[in-house]
Amino acid sequence: MPLVMVVDDDQDLAEMLSIVLNGAGMEVDLVGRGDEVMDIFSANPPDLVLLDVMLPGIDGIEVCKLIREKSMVPIVMLTAKGDTQDVVLGLEAGADDYMVKPFKHQELVARINTRLRRTTKVGTLKIGDILIDQMEHTIARGGKQIPLTRLEFDLLVALAKEPGRVFTREALLSEVWGYQHAADTRLVNVHVQRLRSKIEADAENPELVLTVRGVGYKAGPVTE
Amino acid sequence: MFINKLRLKQSLGLRVLVTNILFVMLAVVFIGISVYTRVSSTVINEKIAISKVETQNALMLAQGHFDLARFQNDAELRNVVNDFITSSREDGSLSGRETVLLRIPNSGPAKDIYQTVPTLLSLDSIPQDFRDQVLSSDKILDIRSTIKYSNGVSNPGFILGGKLKIPRSGDYAIYYLFNLEAQYQTINSIAWSLVFFGLLLVLIIGAITKLLIKQVVSPVTDAAAVAEKFTAGDLTTRMQVKGEDELASLGRSFNEMASSLQQQIYRLQNLSQLQQRFVSDVSHELRTPLTTMRMAAEIIHDQRSSFEDPSLARSAELLINQIDRFELLLSDLLEVSRFDANEAMLDFKNFDLTEVIRKTIDYLHPTKIDQFEINIPTNPVMVDGDPRRIERILRNLVANAIDHSEGKNVKIELAESENEVAVSVRDFGLGFNESDASKLFDRFWRADPSRARTSGGTGLGLSIALEDAKLHHGELLAWGKPNEGAHFVLTLPKRSGDLIQTHPIFIIPNDLI
Repeated sequence: MPLVMVVDDDQDLAEMLSIVLNGAGMEVDLVGRGDEVMDIFSANPPDLVLLDVMLPGIDGIEVCKLIREKSMVPIVMLTAKGDTQDVVLGLEAGADDYMVKPFKHQELVARINTRLRRTTKVGTLKIGDILIDQMEHTIARGGKQIPLTRLEFDLLVALAKEPGRVFTREALLSEVWGYQHAADTRLVNVHVQRLRSKIEADAENPELVLTVRGVGYKAGPVTE
Repeated sequence: MFINKLRLKQSLGLRVLVTNILFVMLAVVFIGISVYTRVSSTVINEKIAISKVETQNALMLAQGHFDLARFQNDAELRNVVNDFITSSREDGSLSGRETVLLRIPNSGPAKDIYQTVPTLLSLDSIPQDFRDQVLSSDKILDIRSTIKYSNGVSNPGFILGGKLKIPRSGDYAIYYLFNLEAQYQTINSIAWSLVFFGLLLVLIIGAITKLLIKQVVSPVTDAAAVAEKFTAGDLTTRMQVKGEDELASLGRSFNEMASSLQQQIYRLQNLSQLQQRFVSDVSHELRTPLTTMRMAAEIIHDQRSSFEDPSLARSAELLINQIDRFELLLSDLLEVSRFDANEAMLDFKNFDLTEVIRKTIDYLHPTKIDQFEINIPTNPVMVDGDPRRIERILRNLVANAIDHSEGKNVKIELAESENEVAVSVRDFGLGFNESDASKLFDRFWRADPSRARTSGGTGLGLSIALEDAKLHHGELLAWGKPNEGAHFVLTLPKRSGDLIQTHPIFIIPNDLI
């Protein structure tokens, strides 16, 4: 059973979340304060973190940064303000996705399942001079591994497996994040930037993840 | 000097300057003319009076000599008379005086006849009627006249005329013609001085006035500029206060007023900011418990088929519905607080309005499609705007129309002009009366409180729709008549930033014109 860490100071909501997640077949670890997250995280590493933005101790954005320093675990933020800086800050701090309160429980479970999904496939893909091992969930340049979050990995794979295709942001949202309806395209923009900063030689002049102006993104050509 | 009438009306300083100079000029001209006439008449009259006395004395003396000379022989008498004539001419050549001695005809037998007329002098200079007066009078008479010479020169002057009796010769008329050229030159030079000093005076007074105006009027102009700036919204602007005079106290009063206004405005701004913050905070704070409630309700709702008591199952449905409504209300409230705080942002795109209309209708009432009478072009109508907000406006209008249509048709129309596009929604239901028209767009206002709420709308819909229309520089107008229905027209400029100039759809519905 996958383990989900729920970080929320509202005890009733936390309890409700654990009822819902247990019902969906997940184990839940409840944490009430931001400054307690890292100890529990080290002691019992979860498969996914559900993180509220407003927390006592240290806030969700900071917690997100601390987790990212240590781990590539999927992080989904919970926020009451879907339209503000909070979302962008959270995504830039390393969150993979966010949910705006109030949300439907089916939607939450679907979001979490998308992030937990392990589409283990056999074989390797190439993008630029990077080798993607789908089995091991690793990428490497010249034999040297580059650490990516699972979402960044999924994003790269989505682009690499169809080298000629131009992906709209909406297409990527549905492919990588599992959104069925129109959603926040900032999710795509922020994560493409993060991915570029990790794999591109020069993030200002990308050669692996190319922008197609007015449309979306596509994979760069394979090089030896 | 041409002065624009309007500028004169607008500038206090210019007006004061011009009136002042005009008055000074008037005074200078008046004083100048009176001084001139006074001086000239004094100079001339004095000259005449003195000459008259002198002449009188001279003539009396001459008459005395002549009377004494009568006892001497003819040669002696002749000498005396000739001496008189010569000396009189010589004296005159110095002072520009001509002497004319004429024998009066028929004045008895004469041994010798004396007669003297300067060679160049024209005898026309002595008017005939003056000669007659002299002859009939015993006094010395005077007259102003022009002294003419045969060479064409003529000078202003005056003539004195008297009579002499020369023994053994007869009665004579003697005329002295005085040239006033020198006097007139003096008077002229005085006149020119008057003109010169008058002009100088006007200039000096003009300059002084200008200086005074600068001292008095320019602080007033400055004050007006400051007040204008303040009115335009610069609440920090203040007048410069110098010294203790009336202007300084005006400045101080103005500044006090400005400070107090500024404080009031800041206080109100603060208050309304606080209120907006409060609404926004409350909306956000309510979201966490609402999330818990929603999830709990959903779990109960999902289990409702297993409830034995049907009222429990129905309760679960009602609970979910009300949570949906609550959520809608919260997001509308948040939207309103964003409008109030001027934080609403447009996500501009160029999009096809006809597609948005079709989407709105499909999304809203797939079951009520027969009730719609749709009249929109088949070709795309492209508009700059935020499609999410435009769809929200239309959804509101259509939902309202359906709610109030009483089952009758709802007409949706699109019309465009070169720069504008309009969408109208017309229903033939309850309508509304004039007094309601002004409140239609108010928050939480409901047409008829006693009427059942069928839509479950939040009461913020039209108010948000109006704000959305305004964000696009568009217009949302409403027309209604009791029991004849309502007509809402949304007019938008096709290009962002443009303003509406024409209305493709008139607010009074076509079917009533």
